[in-house]
Amino acid sequence: MDLELSPEERQKLQELKSELQSFKRERGQLIPILQWIQERLSFLPSQALESVAEYLQIAYAEVFGVATFYNQFRFHPPGRNPIRVCLGTACHVKGADIILENFERKLGIREGETTPDREFSIERVACVGCCALAPVTLMGETVHGYMAPSKVEGLITRVAIEKEVRERERKKGAHV
Amino acid sequence: MSENRITIFVDGKALKAREGEPLLKACLAGGIFIPNLCYMEGIDPLPVSCRLCFVAVEGRAQPVPSCSIPVREGLVVHTDTPEVRRLQRQGLRLLLSTHHVECARCPANRHCALQDMTRFLKVGLKPKTVYLKAPPVRSEHPFLDYHVNRCVLCGRCVEICKARQDRPELTFIKRGFDTTLGFFPGGASNPQDLKTYRACVEACPVGALVLKDSNKNP
Amino acid sequence: MYEALKKEALKRKRAFEEDPRPIIQIGMATCGIAAGALETRAAFQQVLAERQIPARIRTVGCMGHCYAEPVVIIDHGASGFPPILYPEVNSGKAAMLAKLFLENGDPRLEHILGATKENDMIPSVMEFPRFNREKRLVMEKCGHIDPEDIYDYIAGGGYAAFAKTLERPGDTLIDEIQQSGLRGRGGAGFPTGLKWELARQSQGKEKIVICNADEGDPGAYMDRMLLESNPHQVLEGMLICAHAVGAGRGIVYVRAEYPLAVKTLEKALHQAKEARLLGNGILGTSFDFHIDIFEGSGAFVCGEETALIHSIEGYRGMPRQRPPYPTESGLFGKPTVINNVKTLATVPAILEHGAQWFRGIGTKNSPGTAIFSIVGDVTHPGLVEIPMGVTLRTLIFDICGGIPNKKGFKAVQIGGPSGGCLSEAFLDTPIDFDTLAEAGAMMGSGGMVVMNEDTCMVDVARYFLDFTQKESCGKCTFCRIGTHHLLAALEQLTEGKGESVDVNFLQRLSEDIRAGSLCGLGKTAPNPVLTSLKYFANDYQAHMKEKRCPAMACRPLVAFYIDLEKCARGCDVCEGCCPVDAVFTTPNRKKGIDQSLCVKCGECMTACPPEYKAVMKVSPPHLAPVIERPPQAARKGK
Repeated sequence: MDLELSPEERQKLQELKSELQSFKRERGQLIPILQWIQERLSFLPSQALESVAEYLQIAYAEVFGVATFYNQFRFHPPGRNPIRVCLGTACHVKGADIILENFERKLGIREGETTPDREFSIERVACVGCCALAPVTLMGETVHGYMAPSKVEGLITRVAIEKEVRERERKKGAHV
Repeated sequence: MSENRITIFVDGKALKAREGEPLLKACLAGGIFIPNLCYMEGIDPLPVSCRLCFVAVEGRAQPVPSCSIPVREGLVVHTDTPEVRRLQRQGLRLLLSTHHVECARCPANRHCALQDMTRFLKVGLKPKTVYLKAPPVRSEHPFLDYHVNRCVLCGRCVEICKARQDRPELTFIKRGFDTTLGFFPGGASNPQDLKTYRACVEACPVGALVLKDSNKNP
Repeated sequence: MYEALKKEALKRKRAFEEDPRPIIQIGMATCGIAAGALETRAAFQQVLAERQIPARIRTVGCMGHCYAEPVVIIDHGASGFPPILYPEVNSGKAAMLAKLFLENGDPRLEHILGATKENDMIPSVMEFPRFNREKRLVMEKCGHIDPEDIYDYIAGGGYAAFAKTLERPGDTLIDEIQQSGLRGRGGAGFPTGLKWELARQSQGKEKIVICNADEGDPGAYMDRMLLESNPHQVLEGMLICAHAVGAGRGIVYVRAEYPLAVKTLEKALHQAKEARLLGNGILGTSFDFHIDIFEGSGAFVCGEETALIHSIEGYRGMPRQRPPYPTESGLFGKPTVINNVKTLATVPAILEHGAQWFRGIGTKNSPGTAIFSIVGDVTHPGLVEIPMGVTLRTLIFDICGGIPNKKGFKAVQIGGPSGGCLSEAFLDTPIDFDTLAEAGAMMGSGGMVVMNEDTCMVDVARYFLDFTQKESCGKCTFCRIGTHHLLAALEQLTEGKGESVDVNFLQRLSEDIRAGSLCGLGKTAPNPVLTSLKYFANDYQAHMKEKRCPAMACRPLVAFYIDLEKCARGCDVCEGCCPVDAVFTTPNRKKGIDQSLCVKCGECMTACPPEYKAVMKVSPPHLAPVIERPPQAARKGK
C-alpha cells in the first residue's frame, strides 16, 4: 500500500516528525494526531503512521488498527475535486444510489477510488445533515442539493471547463 | 475476588465456587461444559465477545453470557434450556459461516474448539452459505502465519501480546465484518518475542495462528 | 458576579435595540449555508454597500425550518412594518429586498412567510401550525440569538439557572432532576437523575462529565443544530451536571464531520472562560470546571458510551460489557456521566422553572418535549420540538404539512438504524419513550423519515441493515456475522433472487441478533427488519413469491417501457436525457427502451412531457412489452 509520494508530500512528512512534538506523548493523543496529519496531507500515508507509532511508542499495528477503525481516515489521496454522495436516509429514499451510480459511470471509478489523473474521487457519506435538500452531493466543500442523475454530467463538465479556463488564463499570463 | 467458598446450583448439581469468580470458570471447573472461545483467565475486563457461553440464570428473563456473571451464594443456573441452545447454535453457525473447513490440513484438527462445539451442540460443520476472505493466508510476520479464514476473532492472542509485550504487536485492524488480526512485516523481529508467539499459537483455539516452519524447533 | 455579567448583557442588548438602523437576521447554521445563506449574506452586503443603506446584518443559528432555508428576518421598524420572516431568500431575492424594502419601504408581501410579532398588518407566523403547534423548550432560542455571542445568551436569561444552582448543594439538584422525571434524550431514555446520583455516590475521584454529540444516525441533525445555534445552553447544562455530581472535567465529544459545530463550540468555550463561567473559581466560588472538545472520527458505534470512552482514550471504539457502568468506572477508570446534547440542554430550563413545571409538559412517564428531525416525504421538513404525547398524525400532517404531491402515506421510520418502521395504524399513537418501544420502534436519536406509497419497506430495511452492518464494530459474533447474513438475505429479496429466503429465517436470525449481541448497536440493529416484517408483511411476500416490488422502488424488480400509444412522434426528450443511451427511435419515429442497457434511473419518466406521460414503470420486469431495437438505430457513435 506504499504510494509514490510527491516531493511536496515528502517534505510535509519530514516536517511532521518534528512538529509531532507539540502533542503530549500519551495514548489519548493518538486520534487527535491522526486527524491533524490528515488535515495536512489529506490522507494517512503509511510512513506517517510509522512516525506516529514511534512518537507514541506503540506498535505500528496498533496505530493502523485504530486508524482503520474510523470512517474519517483515508489511506489513499483523494482527488482534487472530491465528490461525496450523501447516502443518508432521506437521500436514500429520494434515489441517492442512482446519483452515486451515475458518478461512478461517468468517471469510470468506483466509490472509494480516485481517477488516475487525481482529478476526482468518489466517496459515500452517511449523512451530511442537509436532509431537507435531499438528495445531496458535495463537490469539494460545496453542497449541491436536489441532485438528479441528469445534473451529474453538468457538475463534472463544469469542473473540466473551469480547469480549462484556468489553464488558458495561465498560458495567456505566461505569454504576456 | 474473595476467598469465600460458596455453593451454586448448576443444572440441579451443587458446585463449590469462589465468590465473585466468573460463572463460566466455576462451571468448567465443576465439570459442566459450556461452549466458549474468548474467555481466558487473567484478562480484565473480559471481552465477552464470542457470545457462546450463554446460560439461563434464575431471575433473569434472557440468557446471559456466563463469563460476565460473578458467582454468588445460591445462584441457580441452567445450561441446557432451549433458549440457551438456540443462541449457542446460532452463534456457532455464524462463526462457521466465515470459517474455511479444511480440518485434514489444519494443525488444530482433533483439538479444535469448533470441532468440539459442533459435536457438543450437534451442529453441522459446513453451513450452506460461507463467506471467505482473500487472501486466505498472511505471512508477512517474521514468526507467524495467519490463516484469516480460520480465525474466529476471539482475541486470545491479542490479550497475550498485551500482557507480555511493551508494545503489543498483535491487534485487530479494520472494522465490522472486515475485522482481522493486524499482520505487518518488520517490527516484531525480536527473538525474545518468539516465546510470546508460541503462547499465542498455543492459545489459539482453531489453528489460525501457525508458527513458521523455521521456528518450530528452537 | 453573575449580576455583573447580566448587567453588561442587558446594556449591550439595549444599545443594539436602540440603534434605529434596520436589522437583517440571517440563519447561518450548516443547513442554511448548504441552502445558500453565504451567497445571500454576500448579496445583502453588496447592495447595502453600493447604495449606502444603513442596515445591520446579524447572523444567527437555525430555527429548524429547513424547508424555508435560507431564512431571513428583516426588522425595519421605520417602515412601519413588524419584523418579517422571508423564506428561501437566494441572492437575487436578497438584492431585491435590500432595494425595495430597506430603501423604499415596500416589504414585497408576496415573498413573506409571516411576521414574527403579533400585529394588525401582516399575519403572524404563529398562525401557522408549523409554528404554533410546537412547544419550544430546548430549541427556544435557536435561530433567535447569535451563537457566537455569550452576552446574547445571558441577556435572555442564560446561565441564570446555573448561577442559582451554584448556591445549592449538589444533591438537592439531583433530587430536582429526579423529581422532574427527565429521561436521557440519547435514545434509551434512562433516568438522568439516577445516572447523576450513581456518579455522585461513586467513590472514585476526579469525576468527568461527557456531552455526547456523536450524532451518527443518518437523518438526524438536532444535536448539530443545537451546538451551532445555542452552544451555551449545552455548556450551562454541563456546568449544572458537574456541580451536581462533583466533576472537575468535561468533554464534548462531537463528530469531526460537524466543522461548524466544533468552531462555534470553541468560540463559546473561549467566551465562557473569559466570563469566568469556566475554569478555576467559577463566578468567584471555589468551583472549578474545565471543558475540552474531542472530535469523534466517525464511527456510529461510538454513540455507545463505553465505545465512546475507548475512542477518547485512543483505542478502537469497541464497546465492552456493562457493568461496570461508566458512572462507576468510565473514562480513564474515573466515574463518568455521559449525557446527550439534548438532555443537557434541557437541564437549565428544569432548574429555572422547577421539576413540577417540567412534569406539566409531556406524558406521565416521559415528561418534557421531544425533538424530531422530520425528513422524507413531508411538505415542511426540518426540526420540530413537541411535547411528548403528541400523536404522529398531528406531527406529520398538522405540523409538517402532510405528504406532498398528492401521494398517500405509507410508513414512518422513527429512531434511525435502531428504530423501526411504523404503519398507518400507529398514526394516532401518542409518541413517548414507552409507546414507541412497545410498537417495536425507539425514540433513538429522534430521526424521523416519512415515506409515501412509493417506498418499498424491504428496501428500507435493507438500507438500514446495510448501514448497521457497515458500522458494526466487529467485536461480537452476532453483530459482526449475523448482520452480514441478514443483509445478504434482504439484498437477495430486493434483487429478485430471494427464492430461498423465507420469513421465518429473517425473523429467527433477527431475534437471535437482538438477544445475542453485546451492545445496543447489535441489539437494536434488527429492529427495522422486525418491524417491517410485522407491519408490512405484504411487501415481503411480493418480493419472495412474485419477485415483484409493489412500490416499484427496487430497481432490479422493475422495468421502464414506452407506451407507443401515448408517445409523441418526433419528441426526443427521453432519448436526450438517458445517461446510458438505452432509449432509441423506432422506425415510425417513436421511442423504445433497450432493456439490456437500461439502468432504471427513471430520468426518462421525469423528463417525458406531462401531456404525453408515455413512460411506464412495471414490476415484475417481464411485464414490460418488448420493443425491438431496429438495427439502423444502433447506438449513436458506439
